[in-house]
Amino acid sequence: MAAPITAARSAVFPAHRVQVMGAMLNRTSASFSGQRASFPSIRLQPVPKRFQVSCSAKQDTINKVCEIVKNQLAVAEGTTITGETKFVDLGADSLDTVEIVMGLEEAFQITVDESSAQVIQTVEDAATLIDKLVSEKDA
Amino acid sequence: MPLPHPPPRTPGVAGARLFASLPPPPPSPLQSRREVHVWYVCPDELNDRSQLDMYMDLLSPSERNNALSMNGPRLQKDAMLSRALLRTTLSRYSKIDPRSFDFKKNKFGKPEILWRSDDSNMEWPLHFNISHTSSLIACGIAMDVPIGIDVEEKKRKTTKSILSLARRYFTPSEVEFLAKIADSDAQQKEFIKLWTLKEAYVKALGRGFSGAPFNRFSIQLETNSRIQISKAPKACNDSDSGDYLSENWRFALAELNSSYYMAVCIEDNSRGFENGPVPLGLKVWKTIPFIEDTLVSGTDAVKLIT
Repeated sequence: MAAPITAARSAVFPAHRVQVMGAMLNRTSASFSGQRASFPSIRLQPVPKRFQVSCSAKQDTINKVCEIVKNQLAVAEGTTITGETKFVDLGADSLDTVEIVMGLEEAFQITVDESSAQVIQTVEDAATLIDKLVSEKDA
Repeated sequence: MPLPHPPPRTPGVAGARLFASLPPPPPSPLQSRREVHVWYVCPDELNDRSQLDMYMDLLSPSERNNALSMNGPRLQKDAMLSRALLRTTLSRYSKIDPRSFDFKKNKFGKPEILWRSDDSNMEWPLHFNISHTSSLIACGIAMDVPIGIDVEEKKRKTTKSILSLARRYFTPSEVEFLAKIADSDAQQKEFIKLWTLKEAYVKALGRGFSGAPFNRFSIQLETNSRIQISKAPKACNDSDSGDYLSENWRFALAELNSSYYMAVCIEDNSRGFENGPVPLGLKVWKTIPFIEDTLVSGTDAVKLIT
């Protein structure tokens, strides 16, 4: 998963976080080209939809999660929140986290059980889970 | 609220090395498995650059990196102080240099001390737990029993309504208890009390939020100030989560500096029957590590609710 690499990059070059929103899409594509390189026959075919869903959350979902998080944590103006931002790094405590989860449940009309909620560390984790729950709900 | 203010041990001195050579205060031994000691810092009051550098110096490289990856200087300082508080506190009870501790996480992510085989001067293993609010970081210490601690600002505002939070996360009996409280301020305070107690229990249990879902156990403050914990009745199609809940835990709930509720929970492994509930012995210090320690329990700063 790309997440550990990007987390390290953010720690070393914090200034680059500003560019990450746009860059993240490129990075997702970069990981696809990595896969394609090892499977030359696939390169000529469109990437199956299931690969896309499992590799990244929808940008739209990420944006919505960022907004809910910003409201809950009263994040300072000009703070950048991206997919790799960890909730704890924004100073979220346990009460904040459950309120964020509730906010997400309301916004997306889903239910998040405790064991799923526990493994959510970053904005992207939340968005990926949401996309999964929404698609299961709509299926 | 006037707190006792003993004069500082030394006047302000520049140079981290001088601070580091001061002996730590004499260890305050934990008398029994029923005693819990809490040491806390107020980050907003700690702004001396040389002091902060000295605390930073106590951290391991990974702790340092972790602190620096927090979002913004204030959160970075809090993260650093949290580790410095933990290390200096453990050092008080173990004669081990604060820099020497290694830590690990249990399989559910709860932080624990990684003892070395030569830590032979420890008769009983120390257990710790940390809680943060934006203005206070607390470290609870217990001897030989798992411990959980949670501190919350009394007046902390929630974005969701109290009852909607309770309905989503608490048990029906707890919701009923809160719903009966007409005054919204009083209701909010009772919610926070319950929240800190439940958090402290889950943290003591050490199995993560899903290991002890909040709606699987009820906590009740009884009229004789006893805290009662009981497992919620399980519906037959419920999952296994909550199977690890046990009721042999001791609690203390206190109001700290008139601004916070602090809940502490330790495992109660006393054998045999006792005449009535035996209270958890709680001692609380405000600390500026290496500079000043103030015992605040037994004063108005710490008002036991239980």
